[in-house]
Amino acid sequence: MSENTGDGRQQSPFVGLIGARQEEFGEGYVRLSLLLEERHTNPNGVMHGGVITTLMDEALGGVIASVRGMQAMQEAPHSTVEMNVSFMAAARPGDEIIVEGRLLKAGRSVAFGEAEARRRGEDGLVAKGRFVFLIPPKRQ
Amino acid sequence: MLRNSFARLSGARLKSCEKGSATASVTLRPEHAGANGTAHGGLLTTLMDSSLAIALRELRGEGASLHSSIEMNASFLAEARPGDELTIEARISHLGENVAFGEAQARRRADGELIAIARVTFAIQQP
Repeated sequence: MSENTGDGRQQSPFVGLIGARQEEFGEGYVRLSLLLEERHTNPNGVMHGGVITTLMDEALGGVIASVRGMQAMQEAPHSTVEMNVSFMAAARPGDEIIVEGRLLKAGRSVAFGEAEARRRGEDGLVAKGRFVFLIPPKRQ
Repeated sequence: MLRNSFARLSGARLKSCEKGSATASVTLRPEHAGANGTAHGGLLTTLMDSSLAIALRELRGEGASLHSSIEMNASFLAEARPGDELTIEARISHLGENVAFGEAQARRRADGELIAIARVTFAIQQP
């Protein structure tokens, strides 16, 4: 299911499947949150790394959209080409995860962003990621 | 079907696994898409991570201590869309005492196009 995120952008269907919420959408900054459930775990009983990479990718895709503008994005959607994520701490069902995405640099053909995941109200990082997005040339 | 709750969400199936390698497949559905209608990067990384963790489990044995991903680098080479069937191949390249390294790739079955590749580092819990 896809819901409108309040900024004119549709949430990704895959993020809808996971159940994350967008809390803030500003220029160059997007914050998502997710209350972890059993269905978000791996066989170790802790949050699957894929949950974090999904939320970081989604937050940063939104960050790039916020600086490109909706029209540019619809004409030539950007896509993730590279991600590096470090998983620093485990999270468990019942924990509320906050993912913040921030713009590092938006060029004409590539954009860079970084994302951090924490438990709500805690300083320590659960994961940190750096992403590169490709911005396709405008269709003529 | 992959053996954990989160990867099961995707409807992926584990095709084979042996010591140090695993193969999974998934047929992309509309709910796997990102905002631009193509497969969400998070889906691909989830399946590559899970396939590698399974390959490592097969290599280390069911009774061995836990291992967990600590680092993942993924590159996205081409777009995949709902309806596409992807094959994920995972292989452990090195198993040490404290860490293990693995590589995975996702290809579209129909034309063999490479969609994504990843390298994952695992920490092995000391018993």
